[in-house]
Amino acid sequence: MKIEIKASSLAALAATSLFSLSLVGCKSEAEKQGGSTGTTSGTASGGGSAPSGVGRPAPTGTGNVQSGDTIKLGMIASLTGDQKPWGDDSLAGAKIAVEEVNSAGGVNGKKIELKIEDSASKPESAKTAAEKLLGEGVLAIIGEVSSGNTEQIARAAFERGVPVVAVGATKTTLTDIGAHVFRVCYIDDFQGAVMARFAFEERGKKNMAIITDKKQPYSQGLSENFKSYYTKLGGQIVAEVSYQTGETQFQNLLTELKNKNPDGIFMSGYFPEVGPLAAQARAAGITAEFYGGDGWDSSQILQSGGEAIIGSFMCNHYNNKEDRPEIAAFLEKFKAQSGGREPGTTMAALGYDAAKVALEALKRTTELNSVNLMKEIENTENLSGVTGTITLKGKNGNPPKRALVVEIRPLNEGFQVFRKAYEYFESK
Amino acid sequence: MIDVTSLLVAGIEFGSLPQQLLNGILIGGVYALIALGYTMVYGVLRLINFAHGEVYMLGAYTALFVSWIIYGRAQDPVTVVWYALPLMLLSAMTVCALIGIVLERFAYRPMRNQPRIASLITAIGLSLLLQYGGQLFLPVSPAPNISGKVNPYRDNLTFYLTQPAPSLVRAADALKPEMDKAKAALDEQLKLEKDEFNLSDTGLALRKEFFERQSAYNKAQGEAQSSAISITLPKGQLIMFTVTLILMAILRHIVLFTKSGRAMRAVSHDFDSAALMGINVNKIVTLTFVLGSALAGAGAMMSATFISGVKIDTFFGLLPGVKAFVAAVLGGIGNIPGAVLGGILMGVAESLVVWAGYDQYKDAVAFLILIVVLLFKPSGLLGSNKVEKV
Repeated sequence: MKIEIKASSLAALAATSLFSLSLVGCKSEAEKQGGSTGTTSGTASGGGSAPSGVGRPAPTGTGNVQSGDTIKLGMIASLTGDQKPWGDDSLAGAKIAVEEVNSAGGVNGKKIELKIEDSASKPESAKTAAEKLLGEGVLAIIGEVSSGNTEQIARAAFERGVPVVAVGATKTTLTDIGAHVFRVCYIDDFQGAVMARFAFEERGKKNMAIITDKKQPYSQGLSENFKSYYTKLGGQIVAEVSYQTGETQFQNLLTELKNKNPDGIFMSGYFPEVGPLAAQARAAGITAEFYGGDGWDSSQILQSGGEAIIGSFMCNHYNNKEDRPEIAAFLEKFKAQSGGREPGTTMAALGYDAAKVALEALKRTTELNSVNLMKEIENTENLSGVTGTITLKGKNGNPPKRALVVEIRPLNEGFQVFRKAYEYFESK
Repeated sequence: MIDVTSLLVAGIEFGSLPQQLLNGILIGGVYALIALGYTMVYGVLRLINFAHGEVYMLGAYTALFVSWIIYGRAQDPVTVVWYALPLMLLSAMTVCALIGIVLERFAYRPMRNQPRIASLITAIGLSLLLQYGGQLFLPVSPAPNISGKVNPYRDNLTFYLTQPAPSLVRAADALKPEMDKAKAALDEQLKLEKDEFNLSDTGLALRKEFFERQSAYNKAQGEAQSSAISITLPKGQLIMFTVTLILMAILRHIVLFTKSGRAMRAVSHDFDSAALMGINVNKIVTLTFVLGSALAGAGAMMSATFISGVKIDTFFGLLPGVKAFVAAVLGGIGNIPGAVLGGILMGVAESLVVWAGYDQYKDAVAFLILIVVLLFKPSGLLGSNKVEKV
């Protein structure tokens, strides 16, 4: 008997290859979930720090209750993977805050125990990490830096009723997930508007292009926010292209951009891709100036971006060179802890502030459980953090904060050189 | 009624088509190199070596480590030495060949007489093991990146297919003196100002004037540029493509004109009969893995070196690997010229999707092609419908 071997074996091949692709695809699927709220980022409900009584959904669970000799707090950070620079820094910052409290005797005579989990820079691992911490009975979770990871943590904590204090997750709609989500950073509504104003007003850029990482909820939201404010100012978006986290070659995207002659390009992605993007854009003969958000915040961008990224502008939360006592005190502690090294990213200070918000609230609680802690975090008012004054009361989890525009310079000139500060303004 | 053609054509600039075709061919060259490994292994063993993308990834790491040995780990600029690139290429190829031998000997050979699905699962397992296990001992962060340091061929060759329209160039040039004048006035004022980003009213007015002039000039300049059709060819990628062609020629020679090549073709034709004819099939299978893996290593070294800013992590081979696999199927898996054709077509298809304004679907197009090929021509473009006795 004869059969057509090729046809049948290739059918089997198709089945197996799809199988393997679905294995590979796990990652993108989980991230898609994370990104599913990205479509709503333009709606007014995320209006951020506008004080409004319109409540966010209250978490369904009853939360964890303190037990044992220590008070357990959870910390999730990207200790491996692309976002390791942020993970390491945010953890180091949070540890400093915890040590401060413990060396002063703890809360109600009980020491704080920081339970640490790795999110491996991936939303699905962030979710697993959150579930593990929730199971271990933490009263609150501190973390994460990327919005995609934080969304997963927030959703997991929603069912349990445990508060989450995000470190650097700026995506506007993040805090709409529930009344248990708080952050210590500004939101992308504001960040996008700041960069739009800076590029349009201070640099005179009238025609800009946007490059988005469509796999990152942060990048999608920030591009949206930038675009809406920039067009409101009267600027024109001449091209919008997108790529995915993990891609390394952008020549064909850049060819299309070059053809549209933008005089500025807004790259809303994270530094691992922005560096190569900038380098390849210059290699392709694009002379436009580059702009970006706090997703650029790691000196690694200098390594992959090389000459191309120098002279670009990004938005950030604070600057080590600022003259404020909180910053000096924090830097001193950080250096003592890490052998004289200054924090490489602003996530160290934000990690410290996030932990401090949780710890200060803990000190005010009458009973040691998640529900009470959540109430007290919501009551945070005028807490003087390293990155600025933080008020969460009546702000739907989004503290109004200022933003700095910095220029990327070589390491020996200080990497991020302060250019202009923007106090909080309504971007709607 | 809506005119469908005009909708499709809207937003398409034909001026960038030559450049995009070139981009596609350059990217496709790398896909082709990787696809050769898939197709050769499938040819002799009827096995899809899903760990091939990870061999590629390890090739990039080898290039990185060798560059560290030559130049040191710092990202500082270095004096380029002539033997660096050839040495990196050769070591990446050698190490990948060794990895290929090890994979074949210890992972695939014990599975050879098991049902074919067992080998496939082994391959997928190996792929995941190397991707995630590799994170334990390979540097992932701070981002290893060598292209900016070791690549001395960073500039471009630009060819004008048509010249910019003279009237537009004149219009742009006419705007330049005014812009320069405004710039000079602003610079003069900036010397008096304390902070460039908090200007006095005079400064603001001068800056506004300059921005308007600059904007007008940029616009005119851009229009003049766009009226020309030109292609930009990075020198590094030209070298990359040339080396790719040379390697393919060597492979062709080995397969067609050497004794081992003939044996390889015989094994591919009929594994059991070849063994009966006195061919040492184990040796030939090993040789196949050596050749395929060495080509992947060469592709990886060149991608890591000549493409600006590319960072290396343990998922470096994931996307290229998947795309090269599709390329191999597209060309007709088991068929060597087919893999090259498939690779180039994949690269071009990707570029054309971006050119047509559907950049969101750049990666989806690979899988669309895979589905279409499997539905309508499962044997691929150059594959033949062989029959097998059961």
